[in-house]
Amino acid sequence: MATRRTPISRVPSHLKRGFLTRGEALEALWLVAPGVGLLLMFMVWPTLNAFCLSFHREDLLGREQVWVGLANYAELLRDSAFWRSVGATFAFATIVAPLQLLLGLLAALMVARPFPGVGLFRTLFFLTTAVPTAVAAIAWGWFLHPVGGSLNRWLEALGLPAQPWLTSPELALPTLAVVTAWAGVGFTAILLTAGLQQIPEDLYEAARIDGANAWTQFWRITLPLLSPTLFLVGLLTLLSSLTAFGQIHLLTRGGPMESTTVWVYRLYQDAFFNFRFTYAAAQAVVLFLVLLLLAALQFRLLGGKVHYA
Amino acid sequence: MKKHGFGLLVGVVLGSLGLAQQRVTIDFWHSMGGVLGEATEALVKDFNAAQNRITVRSQFVGSYDEGLNKLQAALRAGGQGRPHVIQVYDIGARFMADSGAVIPLEDLARANNFDLSQFVPQPRNYYTVDGKLYGLAFNSSNPILYFNARALEEAGIPYRNTWSLADLETAARRLTVKDASGKTLRYGLSIPIDSWFVEQFSYNSGQFFCNNENGRKARATEVTFNNPAAVAFLDTWARLVREGVAANTGRNWADSQSLFAQGQAAIAIYSTASLTGVLRQVGNRFQVRTAFYPYLQERNGTAIGGAAVYLIRGFPEAETQAAWEFIRFLLRPEIQAKWIIGTGYFPVVRGVTELPSVRQAYVRQPNYTTAVRQLETSKVNNASAGCLMGGFTEIRQIVQSAIEEALRGKPAQQALSEAKGRADAVLARYNASVRQ
Amino acid sequence: MPSLPRWLARPLFYLALGVYAWLLILPLLSLLSASFRSEADLYTPGLWPPQPTLEAYREAVQKHPVGRYLLNSLLVSLSITLGVLFTSATLGYALARIRFAGQKLLFGFVVAVLLIPDEVTFLPRYLLVQQLGWINSYAALIVPFLASPLGIFLLRQFLKSLPQDLFDAARIDGAGHLRTLWHVALPLAAPALGALGALSFLGAWNMYLWPLVVVNQNQMKTAQVAIAQVQSVEVSSWNVVAAVAILVLLPTLLAFLLAQRTFIRGIALGGLKG
Repeated sequence: MATRRTPISRVPSHLKRGFLTRGEALEALWLVAPGVGLLLMFMVWPTLNAFCLSFHREDLLGREQVWVGLANYAELLRDSAFWRSVGATFAFATIVAPLQLLLGLLAALMVARPFPGVGLFRTLFFLTTAVPTAVAAIAWGWFLHPVGGSLNRWLEALGLPAQPWLTSPELALPTLAVVTAWAGVGFTAILLTAGLQQIPEDLYEAARIDGANAWTQFWRITLPLLSPTLFLVGLLTLLSSLTAFGQIHLLTRGGPMESTTVWVYRLYQDAFFNFRFTYAAAQAVVLFLVLLLLAALQFRLLGGKVHYA
Repeated sequence: MKKHGFGLLVGVVLGSLGLAQQRVTIDFWHSMGGVLGEATEALVKDFNAAQNRITVRSQFVGSYDEGLNKLQAALRAGGQGRPHVIQVYDIGARFMADSGAVIPLEDLARANNFDLSQFVPQPRNYYTVDGKLYGLAFNSSNPILYFNARALEEAGIPYRNTWSLADLETAARRLTVKDASGKTLRYGLSIPIDSWFVEQFSYNSGQFFCNNENGRKARATEVTFNNPAAVAFLDTWARLVREGVAANTGRNWADSQSLFAQGQAAIAIYSTASLTGVLRQVGNRFQVRTAFYPYLQERNGTAIGGAAVYLIRGFPEAETQAAWEFIRFLLRPEIQAKWIIGTGYFPVVRGVTELPSVRQAYVRQPNYTTAVRQLETSKVNNASAGCLMGGFTEIRQIVQSAIEEALRGKPAQQALSEAKGRADAVLARYNASVRQ
Repeated sequence: MPSLPRWLARPLFYLALGVYAWLLILPLLSLLSASFRSEADLYTPGLWPPQPTLEAYREAVQKHPVGRYLLNSLLVSLSITLGVLFTSATLGYALARIRFAGQKLLFGFVVAVLLIPDEVTFLPRYLLVQQLGWINSYAALIVPFLASPLGIFLLRQFLKSLPQDLFDAARIDGAGHLRTLWHVALPLAAPALGALGALSFLGAWNMYLWPLVVVNQNQMKTAQVAIAQVQSVEVSSWNVVAAVAILVLLPTLLAFLLAQRTFIRGIALGGLKG
């Protein structure tokens, strides 16, 4: 940072201090107002309102809200469906995050360094970034289809039993996690490739001269130097998998046996199908607190990175 | 005098022009997808073509759940964007009546001298809440059995119209084909996971799904889906799934239908409304035969399923009147005939089945008569009227979870009793929110 | 672990690459295959359609306003992208290059907003949009996303890292902030803006939950939500559903293939929305 500061002795004094003239103040206002206004209206106000709503209860049609204090939260604590959704959410995230990281790392390790044809393989490995969640869900819905799905056909051809991927309460959540990790592979691979490319080549040179093989190089150089990136990417993945929705809405609708009713899906159900807006708002507030914690952690890491980039 | 006459003439001409231009547009939300959606759009088109005063703007709003949710959203926003006419599923009846947003059909019918006795009793009973008819049973269905006739023949099982649960189980076992390793090649039975089938089995065995005689004598305050019939049904279903006799394709009806259409399940349970789609999917792979829904000991009769259309309150008189015109149109025998032939639903006004076009269609495809005959031979009582209660959407989810639990091994009695606890809480909350 | 001889290592490496890439795109290939099948052939085994046909695409386009869905998505995504670029550039510039009272506070505010997860605000935001009478309008789909705290944050960081003398020179020439922003900051920030643009576009194109709740009229649906709609209408005609999904995939896929570098930079830069 320090190197970027240049002597500014030639600049007139009021500019040097950087304070604004009246005209400039007006200009600055023009620059600041639209962004700040939009953020206040569509981010800050709804957040405050979420808290406010969660202290109310409504009638059949969601009108006539009555103040009920912490009643919604008290009910939430006793609501086994809510706790199950919390459990499902974390179970889902703990499968998605490591899996996506692993698959992405594998791809990144293969294409981080140039070789003939690297462009083609980068494109293929990064491709899922361009696949919208809804398309990914449909593709997998068909791939895993109980009657026409290719996966079960191939399993059977190999002499293995077909599996009820999306219809068994045990398998549905892990299956959705695989779909989600698949959709995120490109994303993870891009970030990890960038991370790998920042590791200086001469470290590997030196290791080779010392006679270290690829395996040793990976454990001694790649992994330690990549670990900050891995941690950051892992956190990003965790955060986004905690709020997964589209693939669940399209593939399982929260079933079977509510095994895939994750947090956001529960919230959506309560708000839009069970007509319990205020109760859903209470869930949103709880979700908010958890995500805030994780996001703050992530921001500290990301903030550091971008700062020195 | 002359001048005056001229003025009058101009006035009349302008007036009639004005009338001609005053086309009323009304919005109609429906949840009919696929084949049924095409048939619905065709009716709307017919109506718009049949007269020039009213334009119906129809819109597919997604599943029934989504349609209801959108209506609720519109009402929450002070009614902005609400439709004039909306199709809401059977189990939304209590909610629609409680919402206060609906003009009861009975009021309109009386005001327009429409004879309510033209209605077939069961659909009318179903949508009668607190003694008043609220919605028009637009698409009424009941559940029926689907058989792969070739499989029946090959197994030497004679076709029958009426099946008890025990008979069905025996047949399903005999129709199941397994390979040497015990893996099922063809299932005997396939039922999509849907609370509706448990509800209907209760009704057809003379049991109630919720208290106060299905909520017909007074507002329901408790569910009774842990009744002996429901328990026996779920028990059998689960046992068959575990033994590889019945397929478990999950909640998605389409997946079960694909299985049946591919010949990989010999018997299936769907709605009558699935008939057209199933026949199309099966093509000429095999012949399809349909039969009445099973029962436990004695056949009582199924309730109607499907959906009703409701008129929403608070529009200018002319628009409400236009909406009523549309309803009247839907009730015309020839329109009912067209609708039922295209879909497999049954008519809701009397005399439609005697129309030549309907008779011909029934001769061509006798499977279409199953639902009608099932309806005609159903006893008319509070069990076959169907359960009327609030929070039914959420309660169905709970029942479906209970089915899923039972299918993987939890005793049906236990699964349903546990679910009852949750469902009662939902119902209590609903009832409380109405009384506010 | 003994190292493999070189003549073997190379082919093995390519084999591993090929297998992995193949596995990754397999679900997409299976979807593509379904879209080229007739309903009768739908369940015939094999990845290659037995009798490739455009029937499903014809039916998809005839029965569903796929073009309209895609246009909606395009309009919404482009508007959001332009809006985000505008608000990020202006507010980012103000935070990085103008000193005014409360600037630190304002930056803190942006960072705080950055931490608010979308899933929390969507319920009350939905109520707000409803009160504004925006249900079923482009406004509901676009306006709430015109300012992105992440974009503002990234642009601010980027502009802050530029050498001061570039700005001093402009100011000595008498340029005001608006002109400095336009003539100095924006050209320099072009790569960052491009990356942010790609990121915003992808994010907007992928939106699912929000359009699902604020739009219920068919002609206002975005492509993502329309997929759910088509799926519920077509029930068992998976070939038609697949055709629609492929049509929805094509624009982002093409954009990605044509501007891969920009997309990659965008993801590497922000990488917040997965």
